[in-house]
Amino acid sequence: MAVEGAVLMDPAGLKAIGAGLAVGLTGIASGIAEKDIGSAAIGAMAENEALFGKGLILTVIPETIVIFGLVVALLIK
Amino acid sequence: MLSPKQMSRATIIGHKDIFEQTVNSLHGINAFHIEDYNDEELGLKIGKPFENADDVSNKLIKIRSISSFLGIKKAEVGKQNVESLFEELDTKLVELDDEVSKRTDRKNEIENNLKEHDTLSKELLPFSTIPLDLDQYRGYENLAVFSGVVKGDIEFELSSITKSYELFSDPKSGTIVLFVLKEHADAVSNILPDFAFRELRVPEISGVPAELLKKLEQDIVNSQNNIESLNAEIESLKSKYSNFILASDELLSIETQKVEAPLRIATSEHTFMIDGWVPNEDYDMLARTVEDATDGRAFISRTDVTKEEEAIVPIEYENPKISSPFEEIMDLYARPRYSEIDPTSLIFISFPLFYGMILGDIGYALILMGLALGIKKLVKSDAIKPLMNILIYCQVSTLIFGVIYGEFLGFPLAGLETHGHYIPGLIAGFNTVDLFLSPFGNEMVTYPVHRTHLVMTMIVVTAMIGVVHINMGYLLGFINERRKHGVVAAMLEKASWFVIEIGLVLFALGYAGIIPTAIGIVVFLVGFVMLLKGEGITGLVELPSLLSNSLSYTRIIAVGLSSIYIASTVNQIAFDMIMPDSFGPMTIFAIIVFIFGHALNTILSIIAPGLHALRLQYVEFFTKFYEGGGRKYDPFGYIRKYTEE
Repeated sequence: MAVEGAVLMDPAGLKAIGAGLAVGLTGIASGIAEKDIGSAAIGAMAENEALFGKGLILTVIPETIVIFGLVVALLIK
Repeated sequence: MLSPKQMSRATIIGHKDIFEQTVNSLHGINAFHIEDYNDEELGLKIGKPFENADDVSNKLIKIRSISSFLGIKKAEVGKQNVESLFEELDTKLVELDDEVSKRTDRKNEIENNLKEHDTLSKELLPFSTIPLDLDQYRGYENLAVFSGVVKGDIEFELSSITKSYELFSDPKSGTIVLFVLKEHADAVSNILPDFAFRELRVPEISGVPAELLKKLEQDIVNSQNNIESLNAEIESLKSKYSNFILASDELLSIETQKVEAPLRIATSEHTFMIDGWVPNEDYDMLARTVEDATDGRAFISRTDVTKEEEAIVPIEYENPKISSPFEEIMDLYARPRYSEIDPTSLIFISFPLFYGMILGDIGYALILMGLALGIKKLVKSDAIKPLMNILIYCQVSTLIFGVIYGEFLGFPLAGLETHGHYIPGLIAGFNTVDLFLSPFGNEMVTYPVHRTHLVMTMIVVTAMIGVVHINMGYLLGFINERRKHGVVAAMLEKASWFVIEIGLVLFALGYAGIIPTAIGIVVFLVGFVMLLKGEGITGLVELPSLLSNSLSYTRIIAVGLSSIYIASTVNQIAFDMIMPDSFGPMTIFAIIVFIFGHALNTILSIIAPGLHALRLQYVEFFTKFYEGGGRKYDPFGYIRKYTEE
């Protein structure tokens, strides 16, 4: 049974799944992190519009997570 | 270039006789940043506005309210002479006010009338089919009148109460007008609710409703026409006076600034004292102008900026014209402090560089360049211009990297032979040239650089660029820190990072067996202790950032590849659609997919590389040295747009 399973697993397919997971999960992680910062930034902007620049920068900081995911996916390929 | 403009603190003291001349001359040169006087400890009081302040601000309010009523927009118009404008200002303002208010009053009156007519016609409508004069509805001694709406036929029930009644009804709308003797009124009003009777108010006018309605309709149409013609007149007023309004708004704003200036200045009973900042280069001009205006009766003194004052000096950038658009990017973060390095000129190089490395596509560079040039030409806004200039710089860099990468809208320009496959390029017969074997990932470095086949190499290269950029940041941090807290603090806080990095390199060499590992470890520990002494426990927390920050630069290749993949996916979908038959309906779809796909990617190509390049500056680079928080230099004066002296 185990042997049969191993035969069915195509290494290329596993790589693709791995790459997909790397991008997908880190994307979700970035999203979760950015949603809180983003809503706080909008709140701050409502008080003071000059904070747009800083809000934008703070919001994109967790973008690094998904970039790392993307890099890992590229390396897997 | 790398620091803000050098400033001096200047104080002007004089007798109140020359107060107004002094303020006027300062306003004229637009170079003196007045420091608002707000503490009364010196025994001096805040000055009172000049005499005509009320008059000027009243006029300004009037002109602004007219301007907003007419919806005057800022436009490029010829400049008007101040003197002649001053002469005609009062009469023309009264005339304008008169013309505008005459029309608005008339318009309001008509609109009120229109509203009344509207209500009246609504009230009359139910009675329109009943041919009775409205006068006949009222004024009876022995008759009761019921007017309203009912459901169903009431005549049967009615006749059981009395035979002597007069009923007018409109079966369509259910309106009835019923005349009965007063003695039956109670009985009738008892049965009416069974028919869902709803009373209608009879308008207090005379005439037959149908005729009245016809007349009202005519009136309404007339009023609407009147309003339209009034609107047209207001519109013509707008075009006739818009130049005058823009110019006099500016003129009065300037006057208001001048007459209210004493509110920012310290005065005693007979003297005034203006305190403020002036760029060193403008000081002589300032002194000369004030002396000329006051016949040398004002006393002007100048002191250099002291250490304590550095926190409050207003900051003016001093950059070459070519890199000045990037001041916008600096302002988005924070203005530099007085003693700090102003990194505008460094960003001028590194921002477009990273942007270009990320996007690197000839096609997108040309599209975006055209777009930026077009917007710059069409939109004459001072806010848009620097942004478009930045975009143009970025596209120049993108074009250069596009040539290096050999990419056009996601297509590779050159064919590539790799691992036995041949991938054709856009230009037939143009193939990549092998240069040398990359030490990373067994990849062949070629010209043009095929990014998709050099992922491993590019990741290492971009991380290296990151290390260089971050170290530049530490170097600038060292300079800043030395200026602020001396050499020792700078060594401990910033130079310690270099020691740590050298330690890591030596350790790597030791790992490779070239030198003993211990040397690396010792150097690293020395750096680490320096850092701990300089930064305290935060140093420990920040240590891993060395790795994460430099890895963060791998986004240069990662975001770039994602842009290529989007573009090549669009190309693939479009071309797969065309392939089967040479020309047919699918070709049209393919063209649509191609255009929309690339339009989308073009927009993403501004946002993604722009934000990521920006973030590398703000987060990875600036945190190493930049503090910011300087005050904006805002000289007392006005840049005239619509008037000239």
